[in-house]
Amino acid sequence: MLLDLLRTRRWLRRSLSALSVLLVLGGVALVGYPFATNMWQGRIQKQLQQQIASPQLQQAYKEHKVATGDSLTRIKIPAIGLDTVVVEGTTPSALRAGAGHYPQTSLPCDVGNVGIAGHRTTYGRPFGNLDQLKPGDTIELTTPIGGCVYQVSKAPFVTTPTDMSVIDPTGERSLTLTTCHPKGSAAQRLIVRATWVKDLTAA
Amino acid sequence: MRSAHRLGAIALAGTVMAAMLALPASAQTTTPPPTVQTRAESFIATAAARGLDLNLFGTHVTIGQSSAVINSTPSAKASGAGVALVSGTVSSSEVDAADQSATPPKACVLNLPVANLLTVNLACGESRVDTTGGAPSAFGAGSVAGVDLAGLTLLQPIIDLLQSLLNAILPVVDQTVGTVVNAIGPTLGGILGPLAGNLGLGSTSNVAPVSGLVTSLLDGIKKATSLVGIKLGDSTAQAATAPGLVTATATAAGAQIDLLPGLAAGGAPLLSIIVGQAKSVSTFDRSTAKSTPTFDAAVARVHLGLPLLGTAGLDIPVQLNTPLTLLAGTPLETTISLGAGRTATDPSNGSVASYADGVSIQLLKGINGGIGLDLAHAETGAGGQTRLVSQQEVVQQVPSLPKTGNDAWLPMAGAGLLLAALGIRRRLVAAQPVAGSERVSR
Repeated sequence: MLLDLLRTRRWLRRSLSALSVLLVLGGVALVGYPFATNMWQGRIQKQLQQQIASPQLQQAYKEHKVATGDSLTRIKIPAIGLDTVVVEGTTPSALRAGAGHYPQTSLPCDVGNVGIAGHRTTYGRPFGNLDQLKPGDTIELTTPIGGCVYQVSKAPFVTTPTDMSVIDPTGERSLTLTTCHPKGSAAQRLIVRATWVKDLTAA
Repeated sequence: MRSAHRLGAIALAGTVMAAMLALPASAQTTTPPPTVQTRAESFIATAAARGLDLNLFGTHVTIGQSSAVINSTPSAKASGAGVALVSGTVSSSEVDAADQSATPPKACVLNLPVANLLTVNLACGESRVDTTGGAPSAFGAGSVAGVDLAGLTLLQPIIDLLQSLLNAILPVVDQTVGTVVNAIGPTLGGILGPLAGNLGLGSTSNVAPVSGLVTSLLDGIKKATSLVGIKLGDSTAQAATAPGLVTATATAAGAQIDLLPGLAAGGAPLLSIIVGQAKSVSTFDRSTAKSTPTFDAAVARVHLGLPLLGTAGLDIPVQLNTPLTLLAGTPLETTISLGAGRTATDPSNGSVASYADGVSIQLLKGINGGIGLDLAHAETGAGGQTRLVSQQEVVQQVPSLPKTGNDAWLPMAGAGLLLAALGIRRRLVAAQPVAGSERVSR
C-alpha cells in the first residue's frame, strides 16, 4: 500500500526524502556530539597548558585572583591515566575544560578541603574512570607555584546531588573529587576523598 | 557519490557547531524553566496608642500619645508625646534608607500648665527608629506622671448647689426619713437612689445621716485641692521586623481618674474610675503573607467613696457596651462607657487592623457641659505581600554539585534517528517508480 503510494505520488517521495536527510543530519550530530566535545576540550586544554606556565597566572595565583575559566592546577592520577589541567570555577562554561575547582574551597595544597569537579562523559571525560580508584592511589596536583601529592583515603562512594557537605571545609589538607554517577546520568554523585601526603618541590 | 560527500560534510560541520555552542551537562543545561513574574517583598506595619484624649469644656488635649510606622522600603518613623502638640514633650524620628538609625533624646517638661485648667506633671515623649540590615523597627512612647484638673473656680457652682440643697433639707429634718429621701430624690437620686438599700435609708433611719451627707460633701469639696486627678500609664507604639514576622504592637497602660480627690473618708476621692490596659497587636507573616490582628480591650471598674459608705466604699463593675451613669441628676453626673475591641480585614489585599477601644467617660455633665475623657485606646495594622521569585531563582537557590555527564542518551538518540533515516531510504529505493508508471496511474 505504502509502496504503491510512493510509486504514484512524487510529492510524497520528495517529502520523505527530505525528512530522511534531516534525520541523518540530526542523528550524526547527536552521535558525534561526545566526540565533538572531546575535540573542543582538547583545544581548550592546549591553551590552558600554555597559560598555567605563564608568569601572569603565577602572579594571579599568588594573589588568589585566578579568574573563572583560567588554569588553576594540573591533576595527575596515574592509576586511571589522568593528566589534565583544572580551571577555576565549576560553571558550565568553565567545565568545558573538563574539570573545575570549586571556588568556595581551599586552593590546591592549602590547608583545608580542595574540591574539584570533573566530567565523567563528554568534554574529555577526565573523571570517566574515577570509580576505579582504590585507597592508596595517589593524586598529584601541580599549581603555578608548587604542588603536592594526595592519597585516596577511602573507596569512592555515592551521594545525592545536593549533598554539599562533601566540599565542606576540613581541618587538615584534603582533596575531594566529584563527578556524576552512574555514567551518563546525573541522578547521583560519585565522590573520591584523598588526604595530603607530601609537597612537591616548586616547579 | 558527490551528494553523499556533501551530506557527510554538512553532518560533520553540524556536529562541531553543536559541540561548540552547546553547554556542557550541568545543572544549568536542563530544560529552561518557564518564565515566572517576579515581585519584591513589601509590607507595612503601623501602631498607635493614646493614653488620654481630653475634651475640657471645649478645649481638646491629647495626653500620652505614641505612634510607629515601618515599611519594607525600608523606612521607619516614630513619635512620642507627653502632651500632643506641646513642644518640649514631643520626640519624633524618621529614617528612610537601610542601615540607618536615630535615637533623639527624651523630651520632658516638668509641671506643664495646659489651657489654664490642667497641670501635667512631668510629661515626656520618646522615639527611636532603626533600619539596620534592612529590618526596620520603630518605637514611640508618651508618658505623664499625673494630671490635675485644678480649676477651683469650677467647684463654686457645685458648692452653691449643694448649699441650696442643704437649705432645702433643713426645714424638713423633723419629717420621716422616707419623706426626706423622696424630697431630695429628684436631685440626689443618682447618689442615693441606687444606694438607699445599702445605706439602710429605707424607712427606719433618722434624717441625720442625710443632712450629714450633704454637709460632709460641702466640707469635702471646700477642702479638695483639685476637681479631677488623673494618674496615667505610659502609651507605647512599636513596629518591628524579624526574619519571619513583622509585628505592630500598641499599648495604652491603665489609668485612674479620681473625682474630687480628698473628699471621702481617709482622703479617698468621691469617685475613682480604674481603667485597665488596652493592647492591640497586628502581625504579618513574611513567609505566608498572612496577617493576623488581636486585641485586649481595657476593663474598668468604679469605686465610690461617698462619705456615707465609710472607708470601705463601694465597687461597681462596668459592663461592656452598657453605659453606667452615676450621680444622675446632679452637677456631678458621670457616664462611663466601656468599649470593646474589634478587628478588620481588607479582602482586596489581606491587610488587617485591630482596635482595642478603651473607656469613654463623661464627667461632671452638669458643669459647663462637662469633661469628656477617652482613655486607653490602641490600634495597629499590618499587611503586605511576599517576595515572588522566578523558577530559575528557585533552582539556583538549591545548591547542588554540578552535573558532569548526563548526556548518555544523546548518541543513542542519534543512532535512533539514523536508523529511522535508513528505513525511509530503503522504502524510497524499493518504491522507485518504473518508467511511465506515473503517467499510467493518471
